[in-house]
Amino acid sequence: MTKTRTGLGHALAYVILILMSVIFLAPIFIVLFNSFKSKLYITSEPFKLPNAETFAGLENYISGLAKTDFFSAFGRSLFITVFSVAAIVLFTSMTAWYITRVKNKFTSFLYYAFVFSMIVPFQMVMFTMVKTANALHLDNLWGIIVIYLGFGAGLSVFMFSGFVKSVPIEIEEAAMIDGCGPIRTFFLVVFPIMKPTAITVAILNAMWIWNDYLLPYLVIGTDYKTIPIAIQYLRGGYGSIDMGAMMAMLVLAIIPIVIFYLFCQKYIIKGVVAGAVKG
Amino acid sequence: MASITLKNVFKIYPDGFTAVNDLSLEIRDREFVVLVGPSGCGKSTTLRMIAGLEEISKGELYIGDRLVNSIAPKDRDIAMVFQSYALYPDKTVYKNISFGLERRKTPKDEIEKRVMQAAKILDIEHLLNRKPRALSGGQRQRVALGRAIVRSPSVFLFDEPLSNLDAKLRTAMRSEITKLHKNLDATFIYVTHDQTEAMTMGDRIVVMRDGVVQQVAKPQELYDAPRNMFVAGFIGSPQMNFVEAVLRNKNGRIFAAVKDDAVLLPENEKFKTLPDGKKLKLGIRPENIVTEKERFAPDEPVLHGRVDICELMGSEVFLYIDCKGTRLTVRAPSYSAPKADEEVFFQFDRNKLHLFDAETEEVIR
Amino acid sequence: MRKNLKKYYPVFVLPTTASFFIAFVFPFLAGIVLSFTKFTTVTNAKWVGLQNYIKAFSNEDFVNALWFTVKFTVVSVITINIIAFALALLLTRSIKGTNLFRTVFFMPNLIGGIVLGYIWLLIINGVLQFFGVTVTYDASYGFWGLVILTNWQLIGYMMIIYIAGIQNIPTDLIDAAKVDGAGFWGILRHVIIPMVMPSVTICLFLTITNSFKLFDANLALTDGAPGRETSMLALDIYKTFYARTGWQGVGQAKAVVFFIILAAIALIQLALTRRKEVEA
Repeated sequence: MTKTRTGLGHALAYVILILMSVIFLAPIFIVLFNSFKSKLYITSEPFKLPNAETFAGLENYISGLAKTDFFSAFGRSLFITVFSVAAIVLFTSMTAWYITRVKNKFTSFLYYAFVFSMIVPFQMVMFTMVKTANALHLDNLWGIIVIYLGFGAGLSVFMFSGFVKSVPIEIEEAAMIDGCGPIRTFFLVVFPIMKPTAITVAILNAMWIWNDYLLPYLVIGTDYKTIPIAIQYLRGGYGSIDMGAMMAMLVLAIIPIVIFYLFCQKYIIKGVVAGAVKG
Repeated sequence: MASITLKNVFKIYPDGFTAVNDLSLEIRDREFVVLVGPSGCGKSTTLRMIAGLEEISKGELYIGDRLVNSIAPKDRDIAMVFQSYALYPDKTVYKNISFGLERRKTPKDEIEKRVMQAAKILDIEHLLNRKPRALSGGQRQRVALGRAIVRSPSVFLFDEPLSNLDAKLRTAMRSEITKLHKNLDATFIYVTHDQTEAMTMGDRIVVMRDGVVQQVAKPQELYDAPRNMFVAGFIGSPQMNFVEAVLRNKNGRIFAAVKDDAVLLPENEKFKTLPDGKKLKLGIRPENIVTEKERFAPDEPVLHGRVDICELMGSEVFLYIDCKGTRLTVRAPSYSAPKADEEVFFQFDRNKLHLFDAETEEVIR
Repeated sequence: MRKNLKKYYPVFVLPTTASFFIAFVFPFLAGIVLSFTKFTTVTNAKWVGLQNYIKAFSNEDFVNALWFTVKFTVVSVITINIIAFALALLLTRSIKGTNLFRTVFFMPNLIGGIVLGYIWLLIINGVLQFFGVTVTYDASYGFWGLVILTNWQLIGYMMIIYIAGIQNIPTDLIDAAKVDGAGFWGILRHVIIPMVMPSVTICLFLTITNSFKLFDANLALTDGAPGRETSMLALDIYKTFYARTGWQGVGQAKAVVFFIILAAIALIQLALTRRKEVEA
């Protein structure tokens, strides 16, 4: 009796899960097949698959690429994300180690300032941050890395500190006795131990920076568009949107994310859980 | 009536691993049966199948004369004590104990009466309002017992309940569980990997290995007449010694050749039918090796070796003897003990020798 | 060693700290000061006391955005957490293919707000066109559109956290409840829910702050239309700064209020977690 009941329960579970999967995947597929339809039909019949009449080939992609200069935007997004994440992982891990191991008023003030910064929304510092960036000539692709390091430091320092606290100090002392100075101790001994946390920090920050719209829009402006800015820019002055180009660019924006996700899925899910639980 | 019958029970996992292999067993009403064996031998799986927490792949399980293969745990009239205690961390001790009764819609005053009774038996009345986290290991163990006895089920299942306790507490709880069994009219099935627990607590012991039952017997019988080398080695501490030997059958004179020494075997007609040159394993328990010369049996061969290590236990000593490359453990009275590195002479107590077939590892009797 | 390490301050601490001051500490402090002034370019700030705050709260758009955000947050938090928890329960049963389902449900979380907004603009307008309208026709369309979008984005994320919580429950505990006579609902109520309370706290906090701070998707999906009716707080603050000259001070005051609300939420969460830890 139990057997048939669990059998039924499993069947029901599968039905619900498959239904939900369809709901979760449908939007992406709808965007995908609409990107091959001519733009007129995208708005008039968005749920119909392309047919001989509505099929537009790569037309949307060609016009979209021309309008957005998508590949340059992709390059900039990649540049900003890679270097900002690298800077964040490197510098915040060093800082976290230092302020955890050297205990004085200054370092504990710093620690609390970093923790405090995690709850401050971007809009609170938006205007003044942009003015500061302009004044210091950080309003370019290199300068924005400094901004990301500064604004992203809170969570990252917090996560690294939490990990350093759990590392027995004896390991570092052994390295010191073996003749390492602080810099060697950090890079040869401490940082390798921190690798899981470093992956978590890197993934959380990469997801944030890659998708970020407002900060680069305000700091760099529209001369050097990243992907989100390029896509938002497809919306014309009065809210009119070239849906053909839009669909094509959405597909191009989603593809790298899906590829990245499928390759690093294990780390991403682990990192996100670790980040949520600690943050 | 809470007899339990397992008929040709199998547990086969989806990956093909057979955790329990053709197990048949009859447990009488109010019996205390211990399942013992090394980890991974299938003893816990067997218990969990009896509890209904694990599906039975093949075979039949009866509690009383009711076939319970597909009956849910809650309807099997059983209670279980887990190794990790499995107390509900968000509930007080009282609520932990009363939980099962509440599930069964027992009237409130009845619940209170029974919880207080159980608490009194286990001496935890003063802890009823605490949460599990505020208790010591031993106290948690009592609460877990309380949760089981409050429902007065006809079968109690124990899954290594004492292995998280320190040695002293374990001994104390051991006798308490035995006492509990005497006072409660119920069948106890107890799983452990500790042979001392098995020997001291069980009416009958089931020794298992790799999902297969090796022997079912009363403790003394298990000790005196193990059915195979595994049981012989598993039961008893220090372990039984095993010595490689070859059977010699010369004109009706039967003895075993151990290297170039001879060892006389017990009187047994069966041995005479064995072929000359058969490979054997001789089993001899540490207390059955005689080292005091005055106790030597006359006209029997004497072996000798060198004492490697001598462990003084107080009233007795454990000698580890190197006898031509074979290590033997000997339990001797401390007054007669030789010292380390000394040459020592000894005899095997002929009537306490166990003979095993070197190939099948089964006893020859 | 600590003394030794101390001298290395410039290497270990300076880069992060300097950036932190540029991108956070100074802008934060300046922001608080500026919220009490009237300015257009920071240098021409003039002290006006609480006037900006008074203006902010008598500004219909802001009050509207505040209520819209609160309503949106309440609805999203409830729907997201219930669905995510239900999915987590399904995916922790011993059935095959759970990994595949997990992958599918989590994926939308990686897609950024702008892209997300335009994906759902297509879908929602596609559905609404059967009724001859678009998402900006009525504020309630935008509201539910944002709720659906946020659900799609966050359910997978919360589900993963709930799954981790459920998997941390010792199986012995569930077995014990079975032997004690609890059925599915009894186990859910007496074992699973009490044991995943830490995950619930985390998920509630994450969904509340994420919903409250929603900006990109709001910008892409409705841009506040019709009128400013579907502007959430973050979008309203942005528009006060950049679409209305002379109102920068008010925008900054609104931002401070926004910050205080989020800080209050964080403090409540912290207090809840602490209390749990003391109890436990």
